[in-house]
Amino acid sequence: MAKPNKILGIPRRNFYGIIVFALILSTVPALLRFNTYYVYLATDIILIASLVAAWNIIGGYAGQLDLAASAYMALGAVVTGNLLAFYGLTPWLGIPIGVLIALGVAVAVGYPTFRFGIKEVWYALLTAALVVILSRIYWLIYGSTETYLPTYEWSWFYLRFNRYEPFYYMLVVMLAIVLWINYRIRHSKLGYYLNAIREDELAAEALGIDVRRYKLYALMIYATLASIIGGIYVCITGVVGYRNFDPWLGITTAVMGIVGGLGSVEGAVMSGMILRTLEDYLRGTIGSQYPGSHLLVYGIILIVVGVLKPEGLASLIEYVKKRIPWLKS
Amino acid sequence: MPKTVLRVVDVVKRFGGIVAVDHMSMEVYENEILGLIGPNGAGKTTLFNCITGVYRPDEGDVYFMDEKITGLPPHVIIQKGIARTWQKVRPFKKLTVLDAVTVGALLRIPDVDSAQEKAKEVLEFVGIEKEKWSRLGSEITLIEHKLVDLARALATEPKLLLLDEVAAGLRPHEMDRLAKVLLRIRDEKKITMIVVEHVMRFVMGLSDRIVVMHQGRKIAEGSPQQVASDPKVIEAYLGTKPL
Ligand SMILES: Nc1ncnc2c1ncn2[C@@H]1O[C@H](COP(=O)(O)OP(=O)(O)OP(=O)(O)O)[C@@H](O)[C@H]1O
Ligand SMILES: [Mg+2]
Repeated sequence: MAKPNKILGIPRRNFYGIIVFALILSTVPALLRFNTYYVYLATDIILIASLVAAWNIIGGYAGQLDLAASAYMALGAVVTGNLLAFYGLTPWLGIPIGVLIALGVAVAVGYPTFRFGIKEVWYALLTAALVVILSRIYWLIYGSTETYLPTYEWSWFYLRFNRYEPFYYMLVVMLAIVLWINYRIRHSKLGYYLNAIREDELAAEALGIDVRRYKLYALMIYATLASIIGGIYVCITGVVGYRNFDPWLGITTAVMGIVGGLGSVEGAVMSGMILRTLEDYLRGTIGSQYPGSHLLVYGIILIVVGVLKPEGLASLIEYVKKRIPWLKS
Repeated sequence: MPKTVLRVVDVVKRFGGIVAVDHMSMEVYENEILGLIGPNGAGKTTLFNCITGVYRPDEGDVYFMDEKITGLPPHVIIQKGIARTWQKVRPFKKLTVLDAVTVGALLRIPDVDSAQEKAKEVLEFVGIEKEKWSRLGSEITLIEHKLVDLARALATEPKLLLLDEVAAGLRPHEMDRLAKVLLRIRDEKKITMIVVEHVMRFVMGLSDRIVVMHQGRKIAEGSPQQVASDPKVIEAYLGTKPL
């Protein structure tokens, strides 16, 4: 049966929304006059926005407070990076291998976790610990030496460039794909089931939802996306080490998703972009004088959002939508 | 002889020192409405939880259509055809009424659009006004949610439906409307039901048969008239032995 109101399995307006958003983002490097530093920052912001959008699947839809975004991202990064540095393997193959390893870890952690019904703060603690544990394991194998990727002026084969624009555009495409997957899930059985699990696990289970299985699906999709993002990330920075397993990044990803309003990708992407911009700005300005000042800002923002808009930025988007009728169509 | 849909055999469920369900046995026959009554704390909800897999009984067995289902997880039990509603409401607060019922319908209809059509049918059948379909679970009253909960369960196309105080808090005319819906569920959809309810006028009028529980045990069973005049039942409800 033809479904004219959908394109690629997502509602028409979401599809066009992604296209328009990606086109607007595409103009940014030109607006920044291709200034290396600014384009680098823009790349960083899009990367984080993609990561938060990926987190939305486990955190926003399935409602699991996952703090291990940086673990899966780092797995993608260290696998891709080391394979390129030591064996000259192209990231086009390194990234899929990184995905497989991240998936392996996701299943190894997720299966028993969901089997034993670990959730809420316990799930958060466990995933936070995962980042630290993986960081230690990496350190035991490679020590504190960092691996540097070979440099190329302009190589699509090795995904190494002496400019940031190619990465910027790759990540815009990545962000579009992650958004598409989010919408795709939201409008499928999986999305309905994940939302039901987030709202009430027991009621969901009593309606026939195999809660463990669906949580694991969500975790696997999220781990896949995060590790792909990590694989791209390592080609940007050109260096890997145990520091890639960064607990703080795992926490900020979740914070951005929560500030965005759980379950709303639009909110997640928006808050990811705003908070990361702010963080980069603070680091670049008062950060040198008062190290860690961006952490304080995070705390303040969380409190303000928690008090004023517990539904997150998404409720602001809803508010605007309700005022502007043509946005609804 | 009517067919037995559900058979509960010597089920025991303890919580620490409390024996919530104490060697309880009963049968439910095809296409009947069985009223399950008893004073507060009698063990009715706990029995529902033992049947639907929320709790595993400490002793005894549950058979559904002659198949042993003791200890199976809830998502398997509903797959087999036993749906339930909750005494203490469990709404999906951030889902619309329509989406919540769609979640139920997705059990048998994996396609979202078709499941949504089915959900609309059920909502209409249960008698929830169209304008409430797009409300969020957090925007409707707990009483309204009882009907949504019923629709959610019904959308899974069960053979047996366990209703835990769906009528609690309804106004008299709403209760009459609900009674009619339940009778239509029995007669048109051919679904067997166990109805737990404290409102006597409601259960007594609706049920084909009544089982009375007290302190985890079955103390009486029979037609509404038989049960209402049973001295053991009167004693259980009054709390003390007449002097
Ligand atoms: N999860 C639990 N933990 C401990 N005790 C429980 C639990 N659930 C029920 N009980 C106890 O088991 C007994 C039976 O409770 P149950 O809720 O099954 O009764 P009920 O017949 O449904 O009562 P009501 O009409 O008030 O709903 C009560 O004494 C109750 O306190
Ligand atoms: Mg009860």
